[in-house]
Amino acid sequence: MSKSIAPVTPQAELPLGKSGKKGQRPQRAPGEKNIWQRLNNQKALILMSLPFVIWLIIFRYIPVFGWTMAFQDYKPQQTFFEQEWVGLKHFQDLFNEPQFFRALENTIGMGVLGLVFGTLAAITFALLLNEMRFTKFKKLTQTISYLPHFVSWVIVANIVTTMLSVTGPVNGLLTSIGIIDGPINFMARPGMFWGLITTAEVWKSTGWGAIIYFAAMAGVDPQLYEAAKVDGASRFRQMWHITLPSIRPVIIVLLILNIGNLINIGFEKQMLLGNNIVADRALVIDLYALNYGIGMFRYSFGTAIGIFKSVISVILIVIANTFAKKIGEGRVF
Amino acid sequence: MKKRKSLLFMLLFASFLVLAACGNGGSEGDGGADGEGPVTLTLYNEDGEEKSFDDPVAQKITEETGVILDIQYPVGGSDESVPLMIASGDYPDLIFAKGDIGMLIDAGGVIQLDDLIEERGENLQAMYGDQLDRLRNSINDPAIYQVGTFGVQDVPLTTSGTFQLQLEVLRELGYPEISTLAEFEEAIETYYEMYPEINGEPTIPLTLQGSDWRWLITVGDRATAAAGHPGNGQWFIDSDTGETTYKFLLPEYREYFEWLNGLNAKGLLDPESFTHTQDTYISKISSGRVLGLADEDWNIGDARNALIQADMEERTYAPLPVTLSENEQHQALKDYGFAGGWGIAISSTTEHTDLAFDFLDWMASEEAQILLNWGLEGEHYEIVDGERVLHEEVRVGLNTDANYGRDTGVGYYVYPFPQWGTGAVDSNGQSITVNTREQVIEDHLEPEQEALDAYGMDLWIDWFPQTEELSISEHGRAANFSIPSGSNIQIILQRADDITEQRITQAILADPADFDTLWEAMLDELDAAGVEQLNEEMTQLTQDVLELWGGDVQ
Repeated sequence: MSKSIAPVTPQAELPLGKSGKKGQRPQRAPGEKNIWQRLNNQKALILMSLPFVIWLIIFRYIPVFGWTMAFQDYKPQQTFFEQEWVGLKHFQDLFNEPQFFRALENTIGMGVLGLVFGTLAAITFALLLNEMRFTKFKKLTQTISYLPHFVSWVIVANIVTTMLSVTGPVNGLLTSIGIIDGPINFMARPGMFWGLITTAEVWKSTGWGAIIYFAAMAGVDPQLYEAAKVDGASRFRQMWHITLPSIRPVIIVLLILNIGNLINIGFEKQMLLGNNIVADRALVIDLYALNYGIGMFRYSFGTAIGIFKSVISVILIVIANTFAKKIGEGRVF
Repeated sequence: MKKRKSLLFMLLFASFLVLAACGNGGSEGDGGADGEGPVTLTLYNEDGEEKSFDDPVAQKITEETGVILDIQYPVGGSDESVPLMIASGDYPDLIFAKGDIGMLIDAGGVIQLDDLIEERGENLQAMYGDQLDRLRNSINDPAIYQVGTFGVQDVPLTTSGTFQLQLEVLRELGYPEISTLAEFEEAIETYYEMYPEINGEPTIPLTLQGSDWRWLITVGDRATAAAGHPGNGQWFIDSDTGETTYKFLLPEYREYFEWLNGLNAKGLLDPESFTHTQDTYISKISSGRVLGLADEDWNIGDARNALIQADMEERTYAPLPVTLSENEQHQALKDYGFAGGWGIAISSTTEHTDLAFDFLDWMASEEAQILLNWGLEGEHYEIVDGERVLHEEVRVGLNTDANYGRDTGVGYYVYPFPQWGTGAVDSNGQSITVNTREQVIEDHLEPEQEALDAYGMDLWIDWFPQTEELSISEHGRAANFSIPSGSNIQIILQRADDITEQRITQAILADPADFDTLWEAMLDELDAAGVEQLNEEMTQLTQDVLELWGGDVQ
């Protein structure tokens, strides 16, 4: 990638690719004397951010207090001071549970697949959309493509099972063009389950995921394309040398954020599409926490799983961020 | 300009949301106890569905008791409702929690009813009589927290949960005697060869519904039936010693699943048995091309009604006393006594404790039981020569229309409230429930009657081992034991159930040559999961129940 035509610097600081209005950014002017004066200068901004800080404290910090449950044998009818403290018992239970490691493996496996293919599909789709000239068609395509995002997993799961059933259209098609001899029961193949989930996920989220990339692409300076055209670059060359490098910071930032969420893949799709045959590949941490934690009234055990998940998330996000720092791209912190 | 418009729109939308939220909040406050007008009691019904309390029977209940029920029900799977209820401390007035009652007792969410029953529970006392001990909670806490769900004095006139064959299959094969798995297999195989297609679609010799919790019903419990064991959930109980074993450890179960494995290898088992949804399962049966079933009758009621409405009465099913071999006794007609265990409890936070209790007590009265079972005199039944007779359209509706009870309320409020069983009679000596022997015979469909005539029977129950031959269960059904929450039993049982549901499913679908290896591997896995400890603790629990119900504890 040639650095000469990739104007990454301005966007690097404002992740969403909107050209920043520098004037609004708090600047440390050399003449300022003390912190109070600085605060005074920025009081409007501080006032505006205050509700969100309060929101953050109430909904993100105060609940962390509930983590104490993981170290107690928590009973909801007792007050905090009546609870029995048991140290790391619930964590020990958790790590002694063979099913838990299976769940961890499946969660990370499906998480990584979803992340890789989800991101690739979204970027590719955004690129194609961006190259489209006919505005009305472009807008229509975009609207249709992100509709699946609003469809509940319950319905998606039903669509998938109907499409893939032994007598369903996919088997019909594959048989009629001679790729397979007899119908395949897709839902009963443990080896296919991760792929199945990933495909459904990609179908559901590509259009939605592409919106941010598409917005970032819209912010690319048109002069760059003109210059490239003058130099004789083809459409593909322009994509490769202008569009992609321009949105690189956005890609990296979104990747880091998503890696932090890798372990929070939820359980709806696995629960809805899974069955006893593929259960070994379908058990994910959240489902495990539901069945063996709160579903059994074991709040403490469920909380222990929650803490474990948070720790993994923090580790993943720090690793990803360090990596981004190393390669000198946009990072989260 | 454009921006301003969208801002306006956003504001409008936000205010709608706020208004909607207020609207919900406002409607909750009605039904206050001001002494006038009916009071609304909330009822959490774990088996409930969307239903407003305004049918004729409900109106009559309100008239008599001054109570309007607001029935709440779990949405999509009931696992979390009760824990969430406890976590929020927000209890409905009445709670039907099924097996989750233990959690509510632990959390102090329900009240003891002993004193209330003694002081003002005349009807409940009359109903339960000497079976009252069976309502008690546990040996360590022998209080009564709930009034039971199951019929008192049940005499079975029909069966449920047996192997079933289409009447047409029986007719075509000349009404053969079928009482073993081998004979059952032969019947479906022969018919399948004769008619590989029914109504233009491929015939399905046998289908199961093993993709969700119904695995326990159509796969696990049918093995129990085939083994000739009484239905005790996941347990086999030695009725002499009370020794309790996790049932899938027993050789009978292996034998049954090996048979299913063979059936699958022969192509006689629907390959989608463990993946299709309940809807698909019902639609397959409703199309009339499923020859054999292994399911509880309540799970396939919709399909039966659909078949009747589509004029395919000959494609409905006959219950068969099928067991592994000639040596087992089918337990379909076993008398479990009053089953206890599940029931309706009154929450500790209700403001209407007395009213709620009086309501439950009234529901147990003769007057109420007749209303709940028969509906309103003149509207749903008449008294002819001193006997109650259901109106023709009510009887037909109850038998063929799945929504009839829901729409009219007739029979709808019997379960899960305290109820008299099919053997109970009122003060005039008439049956309290609508199911009398004569009624069941009259309700037989035409092809059904034909089959019964050919076999020389009055009722389908005639070819099952009769209740008198089978001993009475002194511990009810182990499936209804209340298992302490967070206990070893609960955790290990969940683990063991996860293992068996998955491994048995995989073993059934495997190559027959691999079946033994897979089964042995499953036993090892169960062992590692602590199934031995599970058996020990469960045996203790059974023995406690035997002692508690023996009335020795006070």
